[in-house]
Amino acid sequence: MFIDKSMTKKVITIHKDAPILEASEKMKQNNIRHIPVVDKDNILLGVVTDRDIRSAMPSVALADLDTQKERERITKLKVEDIMTKNPVTISPANTLEDAIMLMQQTKVGAFPVVDENRKLQGIISIRDMMRAFINVLGIEEPGTLLCILVENKLGQMKRIVDAISEEKVSFGSILVARYWDENKRAVFPYLLTNNVMNIKKKLKNMGFTLLDPMNWYLDQLPKA
Amino acid sequence: MRKTGFLYDDRYLLHDTGQYHPEMPDRLRAAYKGLEQAGLLQNIIPVKAVKANQKWIEAVHSIKYLMRFEDACLLGMTEFDYPDNQMCKDTYNIAALAVGGIMEAAKMMMEGRIENAFCAVRPPGHHAEVSKAMGFCYFNNVAITARYLQQEWGIGRVGIVDFDVHHGNGTQHIFEADPTVFYYSVHEHPSFSFPGTGRDFEKGIDLGYGFTLNSPMLPGQGDTEFKHLIERDLIPAFAQFQPEVIIVSAGFDAHIDDEMSNINLSTECYTWIMDKIMEMGDSYSKGRVLSVLEGGYCLERLPELIANHVRVLLGIKP
Repeated sequence: MFIDKSMTKKVITIHKDAPILEASEKMKQNNIRHIPVVDKDNILLGVVTDRDIRSAMPSVALADLDTQKERERITKLKVEDIMTKNPVTISPANTLEDAIMLMQQTKVGAFPVVDENRKLQGIISIRDMMRAFINVLGIEEPGTLLCILVENKLGQMKRIVDAISEEKVSFGSILVARYWDENKRAVFPYLLTNNVMNIKKKLKNMGFTLLDPMNWYLDQLPKA
Repeated sequence: MRKTGFLYDDRYLLHDTGQYHPEMPDRLRAAYKGLEQAGLLQNIIPVKAVKANQKWIEAVHSIKYLMRFEDACLLGMTEFDYPDNQMCKDTYNIAALAVGGIMEAAKMMMEGRIENAFCAVRPPGHHAEVSKAMGFCYFNNVAITARYLQQEWGIGRVGIVDFDVHHGNGTQHIFEADPTVFYYSVHEHPSFSFPGTGRDFEKGIDLGYGFTLNSPMLPGQGDTEFKHLIERDLIPAFAQFQPEVIIVSAGFDAHIDDEMSNINLSTECYTWIMDKIMEMGDSYSKGRVLSVLEGGYCLERLPELIANHVRVLLGIKP
């Protein structure tokens, strides 16, 4: 769950004196949107994003301005002139949960990962988080998702897990959605099987409610 | 009436999936009974089950996989790759007899002895991957038959229509980079149903991009949405692709009474889709439509559904 296990370690970086067109080229070639700006000792100075570059470019709506002058201005622009100088960073010892919460708070799509001396160790992006999330969900293995509504009291999960294990079916993952209902939880077991008919019957007989899939929500939290 | 082949063999019942498994021999008994009760057995041309030549199975599956599968049966293992795949010592041979029978039907069709066929086989095939058994499937029956038609009979473009309620992950992956085989599937949305593939953005890869097409349906949707998706996606895609043969992965588990899914197709809708497929077969494929049984687990409904299906192949109006 630590950042250094999920981050990209071979980071594409750029020097602060490089022209912004070089940064733009690097983004296109590597299909990335964030480039850490570092000095010769790999100390982080800032981050340049595709958005910074687009903001520096002339608007298409103003295309008939003096294009020659515009071109010269852009060619002279350096990364240092447009980069974010105090980017939000994260440490290799932080966790993926830290990164998700921080992304939610800051609305930033990628964090440079630096050690205590601000030396660049890697970069972690929303894409790395998605990969981890897909892994946690287990959805790259074939299976079937169920949704069971349970009373919010101790021991319910054990009953579900026991009932399913007795049918010799393994779990790809189990999610629990909160704030579903004050006294209830929605449990989503992802079962590695095509054969859930018996399990569904059994759970119903045990008194559980199986929710109609069209009423499944993972996100019952108020929007930030 | 058309010349319709019908593949069935009592030995397909020998693939034993143990107690309480939905993919059970009674499914085929129900299918056979359906044709019998409807008085259709006298109208069909029987197709003999023969064991497939291994070279055709190898046209799709890896040799390592074949050896692994055969060994597992010989050793008496009752489970293979996933607990879903319950089996017995005969399973390897029965699976080879199933796909061999379908190839025999394909051969009869290419020789003009039949125009189309329905193959009532077990085990099913569309989940089987190159090197992995999955979702009750061991050999990918339709994929092997598609390769056989191409390599033995010089067929260029094969169109596969998969209306089983589950996505045919195996078939899609086998042909996803191949522009000569068009794979179309309509199924319950993968976030709500096995096997978790077949999202609408899966459209093939490399040269095969644009030759895979998926129409996922949401739980609770039924005939109206199904017909809309077929008209919107399948019909124009095949009009453009012009398949020389159409192979159908015929699963009947999207029926409203089938507990395997939450898609609520009516009995009538299964006749409707088969009518559409036959129309495409007449337009592009000289009527060559080869239908192969995949899923369908409601033993009470299967007789009628299969009888209706074969009626459409025969060209008999109900």
